[in-house]
Amino acid sequence: MKLEINDLKAIRFFEGFTSEQLKTTLNMSSIREFKVKEILFEQYDELSEVYILLQGSLSLGISLAKEKRIHLGTIEEGQLFSWSAVFPPYISTAWVMALTPAKVISIDAKKLNTEIEKDCDFGFKAMSKIAQTISHRLSDTRFQLMNQMML
Amino acid sequence: MSAGGNIYKPLKAKLVEVIDESPLIKTFVLIPEKEFSFGTGQFIELSVDGIGEAPFTPSSSPHVKDKLEVTVMKTGYVTEIMHNLKPGAYMGIRGPYGRGYPVEVFHGKEVLILGGGCGLAPIRSLLYALEHIKDNLDKVVLCYGSKTPSDCIYKPLFSRLNSIEKFEAYRTVDKAEEGWNESVGVVTTLLNKVKVNLGNSLAVVCGPPIMMKFGTIRLLEMGYRDDQIYLSMEKNMSCGLGKCGHCMMGEFFVCKDGPVFTYNELRNTPDIWK
Repeated sequence: MKLEINDLKAIRFFEGFTSEQLKTTLNMSSIREFKVKEILFEQYDELSEVYILLQGSLSLGISLAKEKRIHLGTIEEGQLFSWSAVFPPYISTAWVMALTPAKVISIDAKKLNTEIEKDCDFGFKAMSKIAQTISHRLSDTRFQLMNQMML
Repeated sequence: MSAGGNIYKPLKAKLVEVIDESPLIKTFVLIPEKEFSFGTGQFIELSVDGIGEAPFTPSSSPHVKDKLEVTVMKTGYVTEIMHNLKPGAYMGIRGPYGRGYPVEVFHGKEVLILGGGCGLAPIRSLLYALEHIKDNLDKVVLCYGSKTPSDCIYKPLFSRLNSIEKFEAYRTVDKAEEGWNESVGVVTTLLNKVKVNLGNSLAVVCGPPIMMKFGTIRLLEMGYRDDQIYLSMEKNMSCGLGKCGHCMMGEFFVCKDGPVFTYNELRNTPDIWK
Protein backbone atom coordinates (compact mmCIF):
# COMPACT_ATOMS: atom_id res chain seq x y z
CA MET A 1 0.00 0.00 0.00
CA LYS A 2 1.37 3.37 -1.04
CA LEU A 3 0.90 6.33 1.24
CA GLU A 4 -1.15 9.11 -0.36
CA ILE A 5 -1.60 12.74 0.62
CA ASN A 6 -5.27 12.03 1.34
CA ASP A 7 -4.22 9.48 3.98
CA LEU A 8 -2.42 12.31 5.80
CA LYS A 9 -5.30 14.76 5.34
CA ALA A 10 -7.64 12.33 7.09
CA ILE A 11 -5.51 12.30 10.24
CA ARG A 12 -6.24 14.80 13.03
CA PHE A 13 -2.52 15.28 13.67
CA PHE A 14 -2.17 16.98 10.27
CA GLU A 15 -5.12 19.36 10.67
CA GLY A 16 -3.88 22.86 9.81
CA PHE A 17 -0.93 21.69 7.69
CA THR A 18 -0.76 23.28 4.21
CA SER A 19 -0.73 21.11 1.05
CA GLU A 20 2.97 21.90 0.67
CA GLN A 21 3.70 20.81 4.24
CA LEU A 22 1.72 17.60 3.73
CA LYS A 23 3.77 16.89 0.57
CA THR A 24 6.96 17.43 2.57
CA THR A 25 5.70 15.02 5.24
CA LEU A 26 4.71 12.48 2.58
CA ASN A 27 8.25 12.52 1.22
CA MET A 28 9.67 11.45 4.57
CA SER A 29 6.97 8.88 5.34
CA SER A 30 6.07 5.33 4.43
CA ILE A 31 3.59 2.70 5.52
CA ARG A 32 4.72 -0.19 7.67
CA GLU A 33 2.68 -3.26 8.46
CA PHE A 34 2.85 -5.39 11.59
CA LYS A 35 1.46 -8.82 12.41
CA VAL A 36 -0.46 -9.77 15.55
CA LYS A 37 1.83 -9.83 18.62
CA GLU A 38 4.70 -8.32 16.66
CA ILE A 39 6.70 -5.86 18.76
CA LEU A 40 7.05 -2.50 17.03
CA PHE A 41 9.72 -1.46 19.49
CA GLU A 42 10.86 -2.28 22.99
CA GLN A 43 11.27 0.02 25.95
CA TYR A 44 14.80 1.57 25.89
CA ASP A 45 15.19 0.91 22.14
CA GLU A 46 16.81 3.70 20.17
CA LEU A 47 14.10 5.14 17.92
CA SER A 48 14.48 6.66 14.48
CA GLU A 49 10.85 6.77 13.37
CA VAL A 50 7.73 8.54 14.62
CA TYR A 51 4.57 6.51 14.07
CA ILE A 52 0.89 7.26 13.54
CA LEU A 53 -1.53 4.35 13.68
CA LEU A 54 -3.54 4.07 10.47
CA GLN A 55 -5.39 0.78 11.01
CA GLY A 56 -5.59 -1.81 13.72
CA SER A 57 -5.00 -1.84 17.41
CA LEU A 58 -1.76 -1.55 19.37
CA SER A 59 -0.89 -2.08 22.97
CA LEU A 60 1.44 0.33 24.79
CA GLY A 61 3.15 -0.61 28.02
CA ILE A 62 6.19 -0.52 30.20
CA SER A 63 8.46 -3.26 31.43
CA LEU A 64 9.46 -3.75 35.03
CA ALA A 65 12.17 -5.91 36.47
CA LYS A 66 12.16 -9.63 35.63
CA GLU A 67 10.77 -8.98 32.15
CA LYS A 68 7.32 -8.26 33.53
CA ARG A 69 5.29 -6.40 30.92
CA ILE A 70 2.68 -3.93 32.20
CA HIS A 71 0.01 -3.09 29.66
CA LEU A 72 -0.91 0.59 30.08
CA GLY A 73 -3.41 1.07 27.30
CA THR A 74 -4.28 0.78 23.65
CA ILE A 75 -3.26 3.18 20.92
CA GLU A 76 -6.23 4.30 18.84
CA GLU A 77 -6.31 4.88 15.09
CA GLY A 78 -4.96 8.32 14.19
CA GLN A 79 -2.86 8.53 17.35
CA LEU A 80 0.83 9.48 17.23
CA PHE A 81 3.33 7.45 19.22
CA SER A 82 7.09 6.88 19.50
CA TRP A 83 7.56 10.62 19.92
CA SER A 84 10.86 9.90 21.71
CA ALA A 85 12.37 9.56 18.22
CA VAL A 86 12.26 13.36 17.92
CA PHE A 87 13.98 14.24 21.21
CA PRO A 88 17.45 13.32 22.47
CA PRO A 89 18.47 10.77 23.66
CA TYR A 90 15.93 9.17 21.21
CA ILE A 91 15.27 6.31 23.62
CA SER A 92 11.85 4.76 23.89
CA THR A 93 10.05 5.15 27.23
CA ALA A 94 7.61 2.29 26.51
CA TRP A 95 7.09 -0.78 24.35
CA VAL A 96 4.43 -1.15 21.67
CA MET A 97 2.97 -4.42 20.39
CA ALA A 98 0.38 -5.13 17.69
CA LEU A 99 -2.88 -6.56 19.08
CA THR A 100 -4.34 -6.97 15.59
CA PRO A 101 -2.73 -6.71 12.14
CA ALA A 102 -1.73 -3.06 12.06
CA LYS A 103 -0.73 -0.44 9.50
CA VAL A 104 1.22 2.57 10.66
CA ILE A 105 2.60 5.67 9.03
CA SER A 106 6.31 5.77 9.72
CA ILE A 107 7.94 9.21 9.59
CA ASP A 108 11.72 9.46 9.41
CA ALA A 109 12.55 11.33 12.63
CA LYS A 110 15.87 12.78 11.40
CA LYS A 111 14.24 14.22 8.28
CA LEU A 112 11.34 15.49 10.42
CA ASN A 113 13.73 17.29 12.78
CA THR A 114 15.62 18.80 9.85
CA GLU A 115 12.35 20.15 8.41
CA ILE A 116 11.27 21.45 11.84
CA GLU A 117 14.51 23.46 12.03
CA LYS A 118 14.31 24.63 8.42
CA ASP A 119 10.63 25.67 8.22
CA CYS A 120 9.40 27.56 11.31
CA ASP A 121 5.72 27.29 10.38
CA PHE A 122 5.99 23.54 9.78
CA GLY A 123 8.08 23.22 12.93
CA PHE A 124 5.58 25.10 15.09
CA LYS A 125 2.66 23.00 13.85
CA ALA A 126 4.49 19.69 14.19
CA MET A 127 5.88 20.51 17.64
CA SER A 128 2.49 21.80 18.87
CA LYS A 129 0.87 18.51 17.87
CA ILE A 130 3.67 16.42 19.39
CA ALA A 131 3.46 18.48 22.61
CA GLN A 132 -0.30 17.91 22.67
CA THR A 133 0.26 14.16 22.31
CA ILE A 134 2.70 14.18 25.23
CA SER A 135 0.39 16.38 27.29
CA HIS A 136 -2.53 13.96 26.72
CA ARG A 137 -0.34 11.01 27.65
CA LEU A 138 0.68 12.78 30.86
CA SER A 139 -2.90 13.74 31.69
CA ASP A 140 -4.16 10.19 30.98
CA THR A 141 -1.41 8.78 33.20
CA ARG A 142 -2.41 11.10 36.06
CA PHE A 143 -6.04 10.09 35.56
CA GLN A 144 -5.03 6.41 35.59
CA LEU A 145 -2.90 6.93 38.70
CA MET A 146 -5.70 8.69 40.57
CA ASN A 147 -8.08 5.89 39.57
CA GLN A 148 -5.65 3.36 41.00
CA MET A 149 -5.29 5.35 44.22
CA MET A 150 -9.08 5.33 44.63
CA LEU A 151 -9.22 1.54 44.39
CA MET B 1 -44.99 12.79 41.40
CA SER B 2 -45.29 11.53 44.96
CA ALA B 3 -48.30 9.89 46.55
CA GLY B 4 -51.36 11.95 47.41
CA GLY B 5 -49.80 15.33 46.58
CA ASN B 6 -47.57 15.11 49.67
CA ILE B 7 -44.04 15.80 48.46
CA TYR B 8 -42.53 13.80 51.32
CA LYS B 9 -44.75 10.72 50.94
CA PRO B 10 -43.32 8.06 48.66
CA LEU B 11 -45.26 6.36 45.89
CA LYS B 12 -45.36 2.59 46.38
CA ALA B 13 -43.65 0.51 43.68
CA LYS B 14 -43.38 -3.27 43.32
CA LEU B 15 -39.98 -4.73 42.57
CA VAL B 16 -40.51 -7.14 39.67
CA GLU B 17 -36.96 -7.93 38.59
CA VAL B 18 -33.40 -7.51 39.85
CA ILE B 19 -30.68 -7.51 37.19
CA ASP B 20 -27.07 -8.16 38.21
CA GLU B 21 -25.01 -5.65 36.23
CA SER B 22 -21.63 -6.12 37.93
CA PRO B 23 -20.39 -7.45 41.28
CA LEU B 24 -21.43 -4.19 42.99
CA ILE B 25 -24.20 -2.89 40.77
CA LYS B 26 -27.80 -4.09 40.30
CA THR B 27 -30.70 -2.70 38.31
CA PHE B 28 -34.11 -2.75 40.00
CA VAL B 29 -37.16 -2.98 37.73
CA LEU B 30 -40.12 -1.38 39.49
CA ILE B 31 -43.81 -1.12 38.70
CA PRO B 32 -45.21 1.99 40.44
CA GLU B 33 -48.77 1.72 41.72
CA LYS B 34 -49.67 4.56 39.35
CA GLU B 35 -47.98 6.05 36.27
CA PHE B 36 -44.75 7.83 37.06
CA SER B 37 -43.29 10.54 34.81
CA PHE B 38 -39.78 11.96 34.87
CA GLY B 39 -37.47 13.90 32.59
CA THR B 40 -34.22 12.21 31.59
CA GLY B 41 -31.48 13.27 34.02
CA GLN B 42 -33.90 14.12 36.83
CA PHE B 43 -33.49 12.07 40.00
CA ILE B 44 -35.75 10.30 42.48
CA GLU B 45 -35.44 9.30 46.12
CA LEU B 46 -35.77 5.52 46.34
CA SER B 47 -36.66 4.12 49.74
CA VAL B 48 -36.98 0.88 51.66
CA ASP B 49 -39.62 1.02 54.42
CA GLY B 50 -38.11 1.41 57.84
CA ILE B 51 -34.56 1.59 56.50
CA GLY B 52 -34.05 4.81 54.62
CA GLU B 53 -33.81 6.41 51.22
CA ALA B 54 -31.14 7.43 48.73
CA PRO B 55 -31.10 9.51 45.54
CA PHE B 56 -30.79 7.85 42.12
CA THR B 57 -31.31 8.94 38.54
CA PRO B 58 -33.56 6.44 36.74
CA SER B 59 -31.78 4.51 34.01
CA SER B 60 -34.92 3.70 32.01
CA SER B 61 -36.64 5.56 29.21
CA PRO B 62 -38.51 8.71 30.23
CA HIS B 63 -41.13 7.70 27.66
CA VAL B 64 -42.15 4.61 29.66
CA LYS B 65 -44.52 5.63 32.46
CA ASP B 66 -45.64 2.29 33.90
CA LYS B 67 -42.22 0.84 34.62
CA LEU B 68 -39.10 2.36 36.13
CA GLU B 69 -35.56 1.04 36.21
CA VAL B 70 -33.10 2.23 38.82
CA THR B 71 -29.47 1.14 38.88
CA VAL B 72 -27.95 0.98 42.35
CA MET B 73 -24.32 0.60 43.35
CA LYS B 74 -23.71 -0.99 46.74
CA THR B 75 -21.92 1.74 48.67
CA GLY B 76 -23.45 1.83 52.16
CA TYR B 77 -26.16 0.68 54.57
CA VAL B 78 -29.29 1.55 52.53
CA THR B 79 -27.91 0.33 49.21
CA GLU B 80 -26.74 -2.91 50.81
CA ILE B 81 -30.30 -3.56 52.07
CA MET B 82 -31.59 -2.72 48.58
CA HIS B 83 -29.19 -5.25 47.06
CA ASN B 84 -30.69 -7.96 49.27
CA LEU B 85 -34.27 -7.29 48.11
CA LYS B 86 -36.00 -9.94 46.01
CA PRO B 87 -38.70 -9.56 43.35
CA GLY B 88 -42.07 -9.12 45.03
CA ALA B 89 -40.74 -6.62 47.57
CA TYR B 90 -42.08 -3.06 47.71
CA MET B 91 -40.02 0.11 47.54
CA GLY B 92 -40.92 3.81 47.69
CA ILE B 93 -40.34 6.48 45.06
CA ARG B 94 -40.24 10.21 45.73
CA GLY B 95 -39.79 12.72 42.97
CA PRO B 96 -38.81 13.35 40.26
CA TYR B 97 -36.61 16.21 41.32
CA GLY B 98 -34.26 18.72 39.82
CA ARG B 99 -33.31 19.77 36.33
CA GLY B 100 -32.48 17.00 33.86
CA TYR B 101 -30.92 17.06 30.40
CA PRO B 102 -32.36 19.75 28.10
CA VAL B 103 -33.20 17.28 25.32
CA GLU B 104 -34.88 20.02 23.27
CA VAL B 105 -31.49 21.79 23.02
CA PHE B 106 -29.97 18.62 21.50
CA HIS B 107 -32.17 18.79 18.39
CA GLY B 108 -30.09 19.02 15.21
CA LYS B 109 -26.85 18.48 17.12
CA GLU B 110 -24.09 15.94 17.49
CA VAL B 111 -24.03 14.65 21.05
CA LEU B 112 -20.79 13.31 22.50
CA ILE B 113 -21.34 11.43 25.76
CA LEU B 114 -18.54 10.58 28.15
CA GLY B 115 -19.44 8.11 30.87
CA GLY B 116 -17.66 6.23 33.60
CA GLY B 117 -18.64 3.45 35.99
CA CYS B 118 -22.14 3.75 37.40
CA GLY B 119 -22.47 7.13 35.63
CA LEU B 120 -23.81 5.15 32.70
CA ALA B 121 -27.18 4.89 34.54
CA PRO B 122 -28.40 8.44 33.85
CA ILE B 123 -26.73 8.23 30.44
CA ARG B 124 -28.74 5.14 29.49
CA SER B 125 -31.92 7.07 30.17
CA LEU B 126 -30.58 9.94 28.05
CA LEU B 127 -29.68 7.51 25.25
CA TYR B 128 -33.27 6.22 25.22
CA ALA B 129 -34.51 9.81 25.04
CA LEU B 130 -32.08 10.59 22.18
CA GLU B 131 -33.07 7.42 20.34
CA HIS B 132 -36.64 8.71 20.52
CA ILE B 133 -35.62 11.87 18.60
CA LYS B 134 -32.87 10.34 16.46
CA ASP B 135 -34.37 11.68 13.23
CA ASN B 136 -33.68 15.18 14.57
CA LEU B 137 -30.11 14.46 15.62
CA ASP B 138 -26.87 14.58 13.68
CA LYS B 139 -24.97 11.91 15.56
CA VAL B 140 -24.65 10.40 19.05
CA VAL B 141 -21.30 9.07 20.25
CA LEU B 142 -20.90 7.27 23.57
CA CYS B 143 -17.45 6.78 25.12
CA TYR B 144 -17.61 4.68 28.26
CA GLY B 145 -14.95 3.50 30.68
CA SER B 146 -15.02 1.03 33.53
CA LYS B 147 -12.32 -0.45 35.75
CA THR B 148 -12.53 -3.98 34.31
CA PRO B 149 -14.78 -5.76 31.77
CA SER B 150 -16.72 -7.29 34.71
CA ASP B 151 -17.43 -3.80 36.04
CA CYS B 152 -18.92 -2.71 32.73
CA ILE B 153 -22.68 -2.33 33.17
CA TYR B 154 -25.51 -2.78 30.61
CA LYS B 155 -23.33 -5.07 28.49
CA PRO B 156 -25.96 -5.64 25.74
CA LEU B 157 -26.42 -1.87 25.36
CA PHE B 158 -23.24 -1.37 23.33
CA SER B 159 -23.96 -3.74 20.46
CA ARG B 160 -27.53 -2.43 20.36
CA LEU B 161 -26.33 1.20 20.11
CA ASN B 162 -23.86 0.33 17.36
CA SER B 163 -26.73 -1.17 15.36
CA ILE B 164 -28.75 2.07 15.51
CA GLU B 165 -28.23 4.52 12.69
CA LYS B 166 -26.36 7.70 13.81
CA PHE B 167 -25.21 6.04 17.07
CA GLU B 168 -21.64 4.97 17.86
CA ALA B 169 -20.50 3.40 21.13
CA TYR B 170 -16.97 2.72 22.36
CA ARG B 171 -15.80 1.05 25.56
CA THR B 172 -12.53 0.96 27.39
CA VAL B 173 -11.35 -0.61 30.63
CA ASP B 174 -8.54 0.34 33.00
CA LYS B 175 -7.48 -3.28 33.27
CA ALA B 176 -8.28 -5.91 30.65
CA GLU B 177 -9.25 -9.50 31.37
CA GLU B 178 -8.91 -12.61 29.21
CA GLY B 179 -11.02 -12.30 26.05
CA TRP B 180 -11.33 -8.49 26.09
CA ASN B 181 -10.60 -7.15 22.61
CA GLU B 182 -11.70 -3.54 22.94
CA SER B 183 -9.71 -0.54 24.17
CA VAL B 184 -7.64 -0.43 27.33
CA GLY B 185 -6.89 2.84 29.12
CA VAL B 186 -8.79 5.70 30.71
CA VAL B 187 -11.95 6.88 29.00
CA THR B 188 -10.34 10.07 27.65
CA THR B 189 -8.14 7.95 25.36
CA LEU B 190 -11.29 7.03 23.41
CA LEU B 191 -11.63 10.67 22.39
CA ASN B 192 -8.61 10.17 20.14
CA LYS B 193 -10.76 8.20 17.72
CA VAL B 194 -13.87 10.35 17.83
CA LYS B 195 -14.41 12.88 15.07
CA VAL B 196 -16.57 15.83 16.07
CA ASN B 197 -17.96 18.85 14.32
CA LEU B 198 -17.29 21.29 17.14
CA GLY B 199 -19.56 24.02 15.81
CA ASN B 200 -22.57 21.73 16.06
CA SER B 201 -21.67 19.50 18.97
CA LEU B 202 -22.69 19.23 22.61
CA ALA B 203 -20.99 17.05 25.18
CA VAL B 204 -22.38 15.28 28.22
CA VAL B 205 -20.20 13.99 31.06
CA CYS B 206 -21.35 11.70 33.86
CA GLY B 207 -19.28 9.51 36.12
CA PRO B 208 -16.99 9.52 39.14
CA PRO B 209 -15.54 12.97 40.03
CA ILE B 210 -12.03 12.15 38.78
CA MET B 211 -13.37 11.02 35.45
CA MET B 212 -15.57 14.12 35.18
CA LYS B 213 -12.61 16.38 35.90
CA PHE B 214 -10.25 14.84 33.35
CA GLY B 215 -13.07 14.35 30.84
CA THR B 216 -14.10 18.00 31.03
CA ILE B 217 -10.50 19.20 30.72
CA ARG B 218 -10.01 17.07 27.59
CA LEU B 219 -13.26 18.35 26.06
CA LEU B 220 -12.13 21.94 26.68
CA GLU B 221 -8.79 21.10 25.03
CA MET B 222 -10.67 19.67 22.06
CA GLY B 223 -12.29 23.10 21.66
CA TYR B 224 -15.67 22.67 23.33
CA ARG B 225 -16.94 25.88 24.89
CA ASP B 226 -18.00 25.93 28.57
CA ASP B 227 -21.65 26.16 27.58
CA GLN B 228 -21.39 23.15 25.23
CA ILE B 229 -20.53 20.79 28.10
CA TYR B 230 -23.28 19.32 30.30
CA LEU B 231 -22.26 17.80 33.62
CA SER B 232 -24.45 15.51 35.67
CA MET B 233 -23.45 16.22 39.27
CA GLU B 234 -24.36 13.47 41.66
CA LYS B 235 -23.71 15.07 45.06
CA ASN B 236 -25.12 14.10 48.46
CA MET B 237 -28.72 14.88 47.64
CA SER B 238 -31.00 14.24 50.59
CA CYS B 239 -34.32 16.09 50.79
CA GLY B 240 -34.52 16.66 47.04
CA LEU B 241 -36.26 19.97 47.64
CA GLY B 242 -33.47 22.45 48.25
CA LYS B 243 -34.22 22.61 51.97
CA CYS B 244 -31.65 20.53 53.85
CA GLY B 245 -28.49 21.93 52.24
CA HIS B 246 -26.70 18.57 52.00
CA CYS B 247 -26.02 19.00 48.29
CA MET B 248 -24.98 22.66 48.26
CA MET B 249 -22.23 23.44 45.82
CA GLY B 250 -21.28 27.11 45.84
CA GLU B 251 -24.48 29.02 45.21
CA PHE B 252 -26.34 25.99 43.87
CA PHE B 253 -28.51 23.29 45.40
CA VAL B 254 -27.63 20.30 43.20
CA CYS B 255 -31.01 18.70 43.96
CA LYS B 256 -33.00 21.73 42.84
CA ASP B 257 -30.81 23.67 40.40
CA GLY B 258 -29.25 20.51 38.93
CA PRO B 259 -28.25 17.73 38.88
CA VAL B 260 -27.51 18.68 35.25
CA PHE B 261 -25.50 21.88 34.81
CA THR B 262 -23.44 23.33 32.01
CA TYR B 263 -19.76 23.68 32.83
CA ASN B 264 -20.29 27.39 32.22
CA GLU B 265 -22.59 27.55 35.26
CA LEU B 266 -20.17 25.69 37.53
CA ARG B 267 -16.72 26.73 36.35
CA ASN B 268 -16.19 29.24 39.17
CA THR B 269 -17.64 27.01 41.87
CA PRO B 270 -14.97 25.85 44.31
CA ASP B 271 -14.32 22.11 44.65
CA ILE B 272 -16.71 21.06 41.91
CA TRP B 273 -14.85 17.78 41.38
CA LYS B 274 -14.86 16.70 45.03
